[in-house]
Amino acid sequence: MRATQRQRDIRTAYVLLSPAVLLLLAVLAYPVGWEVWTSLTSFSPLQDGATVFVGSQNYRQQLADAEFWRTALVTVVYAVVTIAAKLALGLGFALLLARSFRGRAIVFLAIFLPWAYPASVSIMGWYWTLNPPIPTSYAAFLGQVKYVVDSALGGGAWVFLTATLFNIWRGSSFIAVLLLAGINGIPPELFEYALLETKSPWQRFRSVTMPLLKPFLALGAFLSLTSAFSDIANVWMLTAGRIVFPVLGTQAYWLAIHGGQFGPASALSLLLVPFLLGALLLLFRLFDSPEGETA
Amino acid sequence: MNPKPWWARLGHMSLILIATVYCVFPIYFVLVQSLKSADEDVFGNPLIVLHPTLENFEELFEARRQSGGAVGSTLRRTYPFLAWLENTLFVFAGTLAVTLSVSLAAAYALGKLRPPGFRWWRRAIFATYVIPQTILFVPLYRVVIGLGLDDNLLTLLLVYPTMALPFCVWLLSAYFQHLPREIEESALIEGASRSAAFFRIILPMSRPVLVASGIFTLGAAASDFMIASVFLLSGQNQTIPAGLGTMEVALDELAAVAGINLMAIPVILISALFARGYVRGLTAAMVEGT
Repeated sequence: MRATQRQRDIRTAYVLLSPAVLLLLAVLAYPVGWEVWTSLTSFSPLQDGATVFVGSQNYRQQLADAEFWRTALVTVVYAVVTIAAKLALGLGFALLLARSFRGRAIVFLAIFLPWAYPASVSIMGWYWTLNPPIPTSYAAFLGQVKYVVDSALGGGAWVFLTATLFNIWRGSSFIAVLLLAGINGIPPELFEYALLETKSPWQRFRSVTMPLLKPFLALGAFLSLTSAFSDIANVWMLTAGRIVFPVLGTQAYWLAIHGGQFGPASALSLLLVPFLLGALLLLFRLFDSPEGETA
Repeated sequence: MNPKPWWARLGHMSLILIATVYCVFPIYFVLVQSLKSADEDVFGNPLIVLHPTLENFEELFEARRQSGGAVGSTLRRTYPFLAWLENTLFVFAGTLAVTLSVSLAAAYALGKLRPPGFRWWRRAIFATYVIPQTILFVPLYRVVIGLGLDDNLLTLLLVYPTMALPFCVWLLSAYFQHLPREIEESALIEGASRSAAFFRIILPMSRPVLVASGIFTLGAAASDFMIASVFLLSGQNQTIPAGLGTMEVALDELAAVAGINLMAIPVILISALFARGYVRGLTAAMVEGT
């Protein structure tokens, strides 16, 4: 019996899908499985005894630890502050660019650059700029700033602030461009109609621009949530030191690499997953369902 | 519409000015430092460079040379920057090729062929962004060694695409899904095969979305520092970020800053060239569907 066109299409679809799925599985499946398994054991390269299965002990140990809650608090505050700042700045930039004015192309490029600048090296640029080596002419001045900040907030605060400022700088650029793409997609008729129907620009913004931008804001917020911590991790690698305000990621790294406690470290990084999944489901609701179901 | 009052225009202009300075100043600052001589770095004004010099850039390309015995060679270390540059180019080009071809295939399957549950496939692929990267490189090392790829650039060609792929698949498949069926069907009726219709009609149409995916991929690959420095051990095999991470900044600050610019400027130029296409592609994929 000849397969119908539809059956052949489905078979082709799975063939075309397989490279992407295989690639993701190759890079992620074993490591994630390992991490989940390790989080349930006492595995440590530093201990002589055999690795034993300990069930949820690592998780319970973390949840009972005051240090964990301090870390979690810093993580949440850091994520909320950076995302709010990035969304606010990004929205502001996008609205500035939405209207035409002389030199808009140049300003658009300027706002695009922080994201386009390769983060792997720009984080080094930021770090060395704000924490310059001693002979540099402005080192004394920034040394003063660092001293003031660190003595007010604790040693290492300035380095943490460096990473935070960098994350906001780069992320706001990404979100601005994303939102600009969203604004460009709003049909001009809708604005003209809104111009007749509404009185103030603020009202127009709230009733037309905002609802149409919501999925873009959600996508921007989600992507900055998942990437918020890579900058801290990078600074951490550069300084090879313990950040005084640890976030869950750096704390897990510290436990694993310096303490050899892979069980608790795995548990610690996996504790983030439910929250990120929640954020993702929210994103799917905002982004995927309304038009997606009808298509 | 009435012309705006002068104070509203002034406010708008100053906001634009502030936004521009905020975005560009750090880039300008790093560029200025790299053009300074050691003398000006120590005694000059940090914000400007009076006597720009390219000696820091030259230093990066300097071959190892005899200079004053042990002390001299400690003070003037040399780095295989040319090898780093080649490696970085190879990794970026490879990552782009792998990511775009794999994403295109998957996106066509999900957006056009739509196997059962295609929406869930797409969500599942996107959901890989939820996995925290922190200590994942420890078990990943076992995978890499198992594949015989330790200290090998091909590791990055395996890992970098997974950082951009979910977003690209999402973007491209949304675009394909929005494309009116008639576009492809008219070609099929005229006797073209599916693949011919794809390469001759759909692929040229999706250029802006491909550009957007490519720029996003470049951004993702260029932002990694950690994976590169964990997996590339020998100096000859490193990419620019991994290599710069190993430099002795206290001694070679200016050369390191020059290295930053040497990596950043080409990437920036390419991105700036495609910046408008990037925005157009994002709009096309997510809103218009044409």
